[in-house]
Amino acid sequence: MKRYEIYRTAIAIGIALFLGYILILVTVYPEGSMVFAEKMKIAFKEANESFKTFLLSPILKERRGEWIFNLRGFIQWINESVPIIITGLAVSLIFTAKHFNIGAEGQLFLGAAIATGAAIYFPSIPIITPIVVILLASLVGAGWSAIPGYLKSKWNASEVVTSLMLNYVALYMGLFIIKTFLRDPNAGQLVSLKFSDSATLFLLNSRYRWHSGILIALALSFALWFVMKKTTWGYKVRLIGNNKHFAYYSGINTQKTFFQVHLLSGAIAGTAGIIELLGYYGRFVWLYSPGYGWDGIIIATLARNNPIYVPIAALFLSYIRVGAKTMGRYTNIPPEMVSILQATIILLVTAEAFLSQMRQRAIEKEARSTEEAIAGGDANE
Amino acid sequence: MNNVLSSILSWEFVAAGIRVTTPILLAALGALVAELAGTPNIALEGTMLFSAFVGVIISGFTHSLWLSVIGALITGIIMSTILAYFSLKLKTDIIMAAIALNIFASGGTIYALYLLTGDKGSSASLKSLVLPSIDIPILKDIPILGDILSGHHILTYIAIILVFLIQYMLYRTPLGLRIRSVGESPDAARSVGISVFKTQYTALIISGMLASLGGIFLSMGYVEWFARDMTSGRGFIALAAQALGGTSAYGVALGSLLFGFSEALSFSLQFLNIPYEVTQSMPFIITVGALAFYAWNKAKNKKNRDI
Repeated sequence: MKRYEIYRTAIAIGIALFLGYILILVTVYPEGSMVFAEKMKIAFKEANESFKTFLLSPILKERRGEWIFNLRGFIQWINESVPIIITGLAVSLIFTAKHFNIGAEGQLFLGAAIATGAAIYFPSIPIITPIVVILLASLVGAGWSAIPGYLKSKWNASEVVTSLMLNYVALYMGLFIIKTFLRDPNAGQLVSLKFSDSATLFLLNSRYRWHSGILIALALSFALWFVMKKTTWGYKVRLIGNNKHFAYYSGINTQKTFFQVHLLSGAIAGTAGIIELLGYYGRFVWLYSPGYGWDGIIIATLARNNPIYVPIAALFLSYIRVGAKTMGRYTNIPPEMVSILQATIILLVTAEAFLSQMRQRAIEKEARSTEEAIAGGDANE
Repeated sequence: MNNVLSSILSWEFVAAGIRVTTPILLAALGALVAELAGTPNIALEGTMLFSAFVGVIISGFTHSLWLSVIGALITGIIMSTILAYFSLKLKTDIIMAAIALNIFASGGTIYALYLLTGDKGSSASLKSLVLPSIDIPILKDIPILGDILSGHHILTYIAIILVFLIQYMLYRTPLGLRIRSVGESPDAARSVGISVFKTQYTALIISGMLASLGGIFLSMGYVEWFARDMTSGRGFIALAAQALGGTSAYGVALGSLLFGFSEALSFSLQFLNIPYEVTQSMPFIITVGALAFYAWNKAKNKKNRDI
């Protein structure tokens, strides 16, 4: 990542956190008939307390005036980052090619719903079963992503709209599958039967269900980073993303590569849901789209589509979410406040023209003065 | 079977279909204007949600319908202005900016709801008003016809009028011509002296205001309160309706009707044991099919011309 992009990201996060503090301050502002200064004093005191919880709770907690390591919060933080790392990878891949397939949400939902069938009924073989289940989910994701991918690369139909539509179809189909074939009749609400014991992921800590999904997610990040930066195929994809006409005229089969990008991205996104279900819940529990596909877009943006930065971005996002949730448990501040921070970060990070225009102008000015200095009077011709 | 037929052939069914169609249609017209200007407005969802919220809050605190409608429209304008500023001036990808706005609206409304009413789920504690339904004099007394045409919500009539107005604006006025030419080829438009920024900004504003109307129909027409995420994807459905309906307001109206009636149908068809998931996903499948067909046709024609 270029240096000024790091600055920009840091500034965006800083502004968002500042905004978060203001929002907390507004929420805790007391009512009643005190003088303004008194009220402000109380508000600042409470806001500082809440902000501290917000910032620290995923790793630290207060017990009898002392700050100690918060294992539960830490595990929750890591667990929550798993599905969004994976969707972040899927989205960053597709965005690298300058395509806007925003269907990760549907891919992960349908992938999870169909793979749930396998997680329940596939014969119990240790290690093999979860692999089969995850591969099935990834196959479904790839297939689902192939539809907009095919329509785009073959006939140039807008992948934004088709993938968005397919998210809904996937949602309804997934719910239908769970409801009709896999429902647990003994459960009070609509959930699937429990997964077979050998299907669930290895636990790193069984008390708070820290599952090995994080290892899978990190391995995937590394693998995708390797593919994107170290292989010819990855180079092709990046070239296409930079300038697809140039890529086309330099002999790359752009349509074929586009289609492959859709397939791979769908395959990655497809696993995001089932990995969380296998690791944490042990059954299919969603009644509506969990929204991880949209989170993937935020993460890809923050990580500048670089797979190696995706886990960092995802850990940051899940950190502030867990912090906000914990704060919400102890205070009245709605954890949804975080989405305001998220929106701010996206807007500030993606508004690259602002800073880069200034940068561009500086470069041009410098170039012009050098040119004039070299060419002397000839530059005016 | 008879149950189903009689429920589908009833006026209640038609009325329900029209009711469900109204917010989708309003937002879909907004999607159309933005799409034709070459600035697809994915932020319709967030715009609807925020306007629905502002409408209820203003009507709850001021008990003035006018103020709440105006407030909602201003909300739409503000959302569009942010979208336009970031995408047109700061060169953010418009899809990313819109996604940010949707995320902002989803959390921001819940946060503001809590601040203003102390409730994180809905504004039911607030006494807010509803926009009226309208009986059309004389017409309402005619049997059958009166049942179909009269007694709808005021925004339903406004939506119908807007279909014609938007179609006229797009295809019969200089503004419409500018919008379409900017959407077709910004460089060509610029070369004949059209301000691309102004035109696209105007289109986004119109689009945002239409989405606002759709939003307040949800919170002040359907029901009289605001609930978290109450748009539940209608802004995206509006995009689908627009994609299905193509470039004319009439087509978009038909597309919206398809979504509205399939939702109404899904309740009736439950008598037949057709799961609602199937009926609900039909319009989306049709949309993808129609888009595919349209793109295929275009690609085929282009190929023929090339030869």
